[in-house]
Amino acid sequence: MSNSIYASLTRQSGLMKEMQTIAHNMANSATTGFRSEGLVFSEHVKATGEGQPSISYATADSHATRFAQGTMAQTGGTFDFAIEGDGFFQIETPAGERITRSGTFFPSPEGELLTADGHRVLDAGGAPVFVPADAGTIALAPDGTLSVDGNPLAQLGIVTPADGATLEREDGVRFVVNGDVDPVAAPTVMQGFLEGSNVDPVSEIARMIQVQRAYEMGQGFLEKEDERVRGVMALITR
Amino acid sequence: MNALKIAATGMSAQQTRVEVISNNLANMSTTGYNTRRAEFADLHYQQMTRAGTINAVDGTLVPAGVQLGLGVRPTAVSVNVAQGAVSQTGGDLDVAIEGRGYIEVTLPSGISGYTRDGALKRTGDGLIVTSDGYPVVPNTTIPEDARSISISAEGEIYAYFADRVEPELLGQMTLAGFTNEKGLEAIGSNLFTETGASGPALVGDAGTDGLGVFRHGYLEDSSVDPVREITDLIEAQRGYELNAKVITAADQMLGATTQIR
Repeated sequence: MSNSIYASLTRQSGLMKEMQTIAHNMANSATTGFRSEGLVFSEHVKATGEGQPSISYATADSHATRFAQGTMAQTGGTFDFAIEGDGFFQIETPAGERITRSGTFFPSPEGELLTADGHRVLDAGGAPVFVPADAGTIALAPDGTLSVDGNPLAQLGIVTPADGATLEREDGVRFVVNGDVDPVAAPTVMQGFLEGSNVDPVSEIARMIQVQRAYEMGQGFLEKEDERVRGVMALITR
Repeated sequence: MNALKIAATGMSAQQTRVEVISNNLANMSTTGYNTRRAEFADLHYQQMTRAGTINAVDGTLVPAGVQLGLGVRPTAVSVNVAQGAVSQTGGDLDVAIEGRGYIEVTLPSGISGYTRDGALKRTGDGLIVTSDGYPVVPNTTIPEDARSISISAEGEIYAYFADRVEPELLGQMTLAGFTNEKGLEAIGSNLFTETGASGPALVGDAGTDGLGVFRHGYLEDSSVDPVREITDLIEAQRGYELNAKVITAADQMLGATTQIR
């Protein structure tokens, strides 16, 4: 009897999760290199017994990350890098290597290039990038080669997940790659620019309204179902 | 319920951004001021379904999983180290630094402060100090009978006298460079102090080791670009409103829940 309530309940709790995802996207609309996130719902069919009709539940099984290019904002910073097109910066955290699109870097007093969270930025060979303390003009070529006063210093590692590798999100706009990474053949890295978040406020608001209305619809359905059950009870106990 | 808290982190992030922008705009005429920018990063993720786990129904692997983010946090307010325009003032102790480097001064506590504000003055004794009265390192005293002062691109301070043709070399101003200028701590009054993140000051003569040069009779303007700040302000304000909308929507959803019975 309560199957219909449970079925709509799975939808309701899924919509709550989707609302949380929208709130997260919206909160990160100004986060450098952020990639917007979406939930994917699928049908979960349950057999209810021999000869009985089956029942479908909705489950949030999977997520989809939108890897579209974010807007480029000019900052003029020497260590502000943005990747145009495919690829990620490779960084080293205590938990292992990670990839990120956020290119706000700082040189440490020892000369290592660090992210805003203090993790080392890696070069194409997987070694930390060093910038000499007394370096003059630091320039970045579009292929990721850092040079000081015209002398090449290091080439930033620009990678992309290999086929079959999955990405997991981590705080600090980082991704964990479960699998291998491949170097990007011809990357385009720009100096003095930062890539903004790729959250599209218009589509997020549209999704938010949709989620809210769907939630209210589900709520209306639960109310009607509640009334129906009460009606039946009133009828049979009269 | 999380949607409410997540949107609140978004609102407070945009608020931080507005505060940074208003500080920039307030300092659009401050000598040697560099634009600040708030940086953000996402907060950690709730693992609902981990990628790579086995789907119980038919034994296949979950390819992407479900991760729900928990909002945003500010990571840094970084100083955008950029050369401001230099404007001619003609002041005999006005110096602009063209390129990298800071003028070192001694703070009353005894530690060194660093500034790009080259509007220098002299005390009654002729000692060269900043506008706030902090002595410039290395200390240089201008004789009271000096007719005029000239500072070369390398920082050599010459005094001219009424009774002599040859100028007298009083001393040489030095510049301090840092590996990570963004790591300096701003303490107000255009002053910075070194931190563990900035590294120690690398003091050298102007024009050497990648350091800039002095321009006598000029001052460096603020590098704040009002057009940029205003567009950023609009973006921040709209971002704030969008997050507030999410709170309203999440609230209405919760309201609908409480109205079932």
